[in-house]
Amino acid sequence: MDRQPATEARPAPSLRAEGISAGYGAVPVIRDISIAVGPSEIVAIIGPNGAGKSTLLKSLVGILRVTSGRVMLGEDEVTNRPPEELARRGVGYVPQVNDIFEPLSVLENLEMGGYLLPSNRIRPGVERVTQIFPALAALLKRRADKLSGGERKMLAIGRVLMLDPKVMILDEPTANLSPKLADSLLREHVTRLAAAGKAVLLVEQRARAAMQVAQWICVLVSGSTRLEGRPNDLLRRQDFEELFLGAGTRNPVNDKQEEADEDT
Amino acid sequence: MSLFVAAFGFGLVSMSVIALAAVGFTMQFGITNMINLAYGEVMIASAYVAYYIDQTGISIWVAMIGGAIFGAVFSFLINRFIYAPFMRKGTANLGMVIVSLAVSLMIANLLLPIVGYYSVSYRERFGSIVRLGSVVLTVNQMLIIALAVVVMLAIHALLRYTRLGKAMRATAANPTLARSSGIPTQRVIDIVWLITGALCGLAGTVAGLDSETFAIASGAGFLITALAAAVLGGAGQPYGAMVGAVVIGMVTELSAAAWSPDYKQVVAFGILVVVMVLRPQGLLAKRGALAAAG
Repeated sequence: MDRQPATEARPAPSLRAEGISAGYGAVPVIRDISIAVGPSEIVAIIGPNGAGKSTLLKSLVGILRVTSGRVMLGEDEVTNRPPEELARRGVGYVPQVNDIFEPLSVLENLEMGGYLLPSNRIRPGVERVTQIFPALAALLKRRADKLSGGERKMLAIGRVLMLDPKVMILDEPTANLSPKLADSLLREHVTRLAAAGKAVLLVEQRARAAMQVAQWICVLVSGSTRLEGRPNDLLRRQDFEELFLGAGTRNPVNDKQEEADEDT
Repeated sequence: MSLFVAAFGFGLVSMSVIALAAVGFTMQFGITNMINLAYGEVMIASAYVAYYIDQTGISIWVAMIGGAIFGAVFSFLINRFIYAPFMRKGTANLGMVIVSLAVSLMIANLLLPIVGYYSVSYRERFGSIVRLGSVVLTVNQMLIIALAVVVMLAIHALLRYTRLGKAMRATAANPTLARSSGIPTQRVIDIVWLITGALCGLAGTVAGLDSETFAIASGAGFLITALAAAVLGGAGQPYGAMVGAVVIGMVTELSAAAWSPDYKQVVAFGILVVVMVLRPQGLLAKRGALAAAG
């Protein structure tokens, strides 16, 4: 692992993983990973397909068993606590797929996002979320599986916002979105979450876009942290692309699709 | 013509009995992902509990509550101590079906030395007769229809308007996301077993009352009819099971009037086969109660 010296202090972590390993069978998919995210900070995990990015997030939120290391939420250890407990303690998780309750209406999805709230705080919660995502306000009665890709992701994030979590964990929120929508989601909404004081940890395939919004980048390759640091420091490194290219599968920094879209 | 009108009346009773059974069965599958082949035996066991209460001289309607409570507790315990441990170990769906088949055989054989082979009847089988035009029904049959209507409305209200019911639908749709939203899915599933078990016990008692006599051997028939209605409507969908019950209940009784009562089961499964060929996902697969309106 290769660390960059920090030029200015990062916030005290809201959520941090200390040397965690996790996987599906006997062989761990991620090994000895440490990562932290603090209030008002956006930390992006980038890396090639199959690097273990989603696995890392799932092990942080209690869906996947951590086999070694520990997960800390503030001062409390929450390693392998069940997902419902992490939700109660202020960790919001938006999976990459299966991120909404498809047969339920938009309103019901939000109500379920606010399941832990007392009943008199559900309606204010829905109002707050529809202020953040005005597009959802007109769709409350619609079945969630009838939404467009962008609306769906707004609902997925809105569902999590119902509990007003301290930590937001987003697994590739821009996957399946048009480049334009992806860009606005990252620049407007994700940035706004951090501005509101939330600790935002996200996995992002579009490395360039991630580097524009994140304050800290963690490059994951083959289940280990290859590199981490501030985006500018990383980009300045001679060997950055090489480290990425060494990963093999594709080169997310020079994603052709993304380049083409940014030119227009 | 009056034969068909009379058959229509019997159809109403049949569909009520089938609906009570099929909705519980389909909710078990839709929410807990369990195809519970022991459902028919739990129905019969509950019918016997109601029978013994009935024998003490208490009203059959009180005995029915006893049957429902027994069905709820029994189903809850079967899940807690048999199904859930297997599921935790990651037993595949087919394996779970075999487990439930084993449970069904165990219940039947445990019941046998207690209740015997012979058919039994509730004391008050008929009640007085009510005539509505050419439709002739007993008071008990009228009450069965009313009970089914009330229970169906209650299930609808539960799933559509209550926090618990919505949590059940959320758990059915996406259990992992439900947990990440803070929904205690384990407790929700426990409650599903209690509610569907109560429906199962109620259905067993009602089926016993409607069929005039019943024995341990009736369990398989109960299960198969409930299964047919559930699959016909779209497996896992409570509204689908209601529609399936209406179709099977009504068509079998009308066919009995037109043709012969001996072929009721043949007709029921004939419908099922035709629907499965034309619409394999079931009649209401996309728009059941577990889904949102619209």
